[in-house]
Amino acid sequence: MLLQLQQMEKRFGGVTALRSGTLTVQSGEVHLLMGENGAGKSTLMKIVAGMYQPDGGAFLWQGQPVRLTCPADASALGIAMVHQESLLAPHLTVAENIFLGKLPSRGPGFVDRRRIHAEAARLIEAHNFPLQAGWRVDRLSPAGKQLVEICRAIHRGSSLLIFDEPTSSLSEAETHEVFRIVRTLRERGTGVIYITHRLEELRSLGDRVTVLRDGETVHTAPLAECTTEAIIQHMVGRPVTAIYTRESLPIGEELLRVDHLSVAPLLKDISFSLRAGEIVGLAGLVGAGRTELCRALFGLDRITSGSVHVAGRPVSIRSPRQAVAAGLALIPEDRQRTGLTTALPISHNITLAHFDEVSRYGFLNRAAEQSVSQKFIQQLRIKCESPRQRAGRLSGGNQQKVAIAKWLVKQARVFLFDEPTRGIDVGAKVEVFETMDALARAGAAILMVSSELPELLQVPDRILVMRQGTLTGELPGRASQEAIMRLAAFDKEPAA
Amino acid sequence: MIQRLLPFLTLIALFVGLSIASPHFLTSTNLSSVVRQTAVINIMALGMTLIIIGGGIDLSVGSILAMGGLIGSMAMEKGVPIVPAIFIGICTGLVCGFLNGLMTTRLRINPFIVTLGTLGIYRGVALMISNGLPVHSLPPAFSYLGEGTIYGIPFVWFLLVVCAVAVHILLEHTKHGRFVFAIGSNPDAALYAGISTSFHTVTVYTIGGALTGLAGMIEASRLMTGQPTAGQGYELQAIAAVVIGGGSLRGGEGTVIGTLVGAFIMGLLANGSDLLGISPYLQQAIIGAVIILAVAVDELRKRRLG
Repeated sequence: MLLQLQQMEKRFGGVTALRSGTLTVQSGEVHLLMGENGAGKSTLMKIVAGMYQPDGGAFLWQGQPVRLTCPADASALGIAMVHQESLLAPHLTVAENIFLGKLPSRGPGFVDRRRIHAEAARLIEAHNFPLQAGWRVDRLSPAGKQLVEICRAIHRGSSLLIFDEPTSSLSEAETHEVFRIVRTLRERGTGVIYITHRLEELRSLGDRVTVLRDGETVHTAPLAECTTEAIIQHMVGRPVTAIYTRESLPIGEELLRVDHLSVAPLLKDISFSLRAGEIVGLAGLVGAGRTELCRALFGLDRITSGSVHVAGRPVSIRSPRQAVAAGLALIPEDRQRTGLTTALPISHNITLAHFDEVSRYGFLNRAAEQSVSQKFIQQLRIKCESPRQRAGRLSGGNQQKVAIAKWLVKQARVFLFDEPTRGIDVGAKVEVFETMDALARAGAAILMVSSELPELLQVPDRILVMRQGTLTGELPGRASQEAIMRLAAFDKEPAA
Repeated sequence: MIQRLLPFLTLIALFVGLSIASPHFLTSTNLSSVVRQTAVINIMALGMTLIIIGGGIDLSVGSILAMGGLIGSMAMEKGVPIVPAIFIGICTGLVCGFLNGLMTTRLRINPFIVTLGTLGIYRGVALMISNGLPVHSLPPAFSYLGEGTIYGIPFVWFLLVVCAVAVHILLEHTKHGRFVFAIGSNPDAALYAGISTSFHTVTVYTIGGALTGLAGMIEASRLMTGQPTAGQGYELQAIAAVVIGGGSLRGGEGTVIGTLVGAFIMGLLANGSDLLGISPYLQQAIIGAVIILAVAVDELRKRRLG
């Protein structure tokens, strides 16, 4: 047995990313690792690659317990990882990046440039990659960077290679080359762990599959014995505990209509509509383009083609200012970075998007500011010492409520909530849902992007699903987790 | 709280210390001269406060000061009456600041680089149009701006108070001020809230430029010459005043009162060193040390708050 991981645990602060990760890999095996967003796949693999230190569990390498404290330890064992997000030095060349950390030297401290270049060229040649050893990495496309990562990993990983969804940005020819590489590695006796959502493509390639769910290994079996349907069930098969139930409201006029919207390079031909009183979920895996859709609607990215109507009127939104004027509101995914000015008081944040409410001729009316802030602090039950407290000092849930309050002052009509419950506790989640429901009752239309399937089944009236930049389907609000996952992750309707 | 008040306490301690240490300190002649000396830096620093709170920086203010003073003086030399000429000086600064703002927002260049560039450009233009020579023939009445008094109090003191109150109101009581804080604190969040960040950024540089143009006219009036070489190194003093007064170069933080205190601390340090016969060379080192100390204390305070 090459690698044995038993009940690995990893916590980040108070959040448990990995509860019990168990995985075994043999030499000459291609092992698929599957699971939803946040199931703990990447965390587990980063432990194997020496990037994270586990908080518990056993890590055996060729039967011996080992302790990896840094990526260099892993590479000493012959473990290498192809990362999903590029971990390359952008200003160095392809060749330098491939050899980074293991630069061939010529005497102490001197780099043997010629050898690096020649060896990198040979490696690229062997795989027919469209790369040149001397190119600077920052000039490469995402796919090109991915290929450099692959070259680097192949060069280093003599015993175990980890691929973290390497083909999502690659062309078909490049994807086939990656698969060919994986086959060669298997023949050579190297162990391969392959994280993927594209099961159909990898059926012919994989030997065994392990499924993670909510930080736990829930299933391991030879791939030939697993139907796609069974794997989906393992991925999402948690009992849905209802933390919130919501009645559908009578639906009113159409407030947002999107027709054939495309945004280069990711989003293609997206059409949907939102009506007053409606909460519509938007499901999809990371990278499916959900955040990009919100950004485009809010004028942060330029729309390539297609049209948008707000309340029946065609709009051309080119900046957030125009989006706000049109009656749109965006509660972004990353509160700290884009949703709040954390260093400023709560009251400043609440009144930011609609300052005219608390000012006259550009001059601030402090009393009005106080009363407006107080009103929303009470209405949304924001727990704080005073409106003058810095927004950054609040808990995640209360920060989110401040970010929402900003748009209540503005009385926007179309709300785009991007992962509204990320990083907040259960109580605050319910309060966020209640706020969304109240907005819908007041006649707003809401798009709710979420990666939490149970949430998507409890809150929205209907659910749109995206995959790789397109809408792949629409489901009723009481659909199953399996149905969502099927549309979000798999290319074809799997045979039942 | 003690640390937040530290600049005030330092200023008071300096004042008391110098009153005891030198019999010449607490005289109206000396205090008026401190006020006059610091007024120029103070008024520039008010504009810098706006810019720094908005997350920017302006290294070109020394050159803008020279441009404002020079063009205003040249106007007077050509026969333009004093008040319109002062207005011309202010407008020159305003245009320079506007261009700085326009370049940082339109070309999306870091303001440090833009204003490092315009520091050279504005200085070069000032030297070119004057052939490097100062403008001397100014109407005698012009000296009132920098040297005049009302009931024994320097006229510039009133000017400074008016500017300070105006900037304070702008920052704390207007929409523009609030947006400047938001942009400096988190430009992305401000953009996501539907604020036109580039408009407000340009405005901030423009106001800063206008205040610097006024400072340039005061400087010209004090020297009774329009000098193309005026104001060299003033940018560092203006930035130092903001920073000593609690402004953060990361944006989103700063107050008018803090900046005034910061500028007066530097003014008193310079004046006290003169009175006590400390070498002018050492003075520079002392002011440098105070800048580092002020920021270090502020960082410690923030780290403790978390």
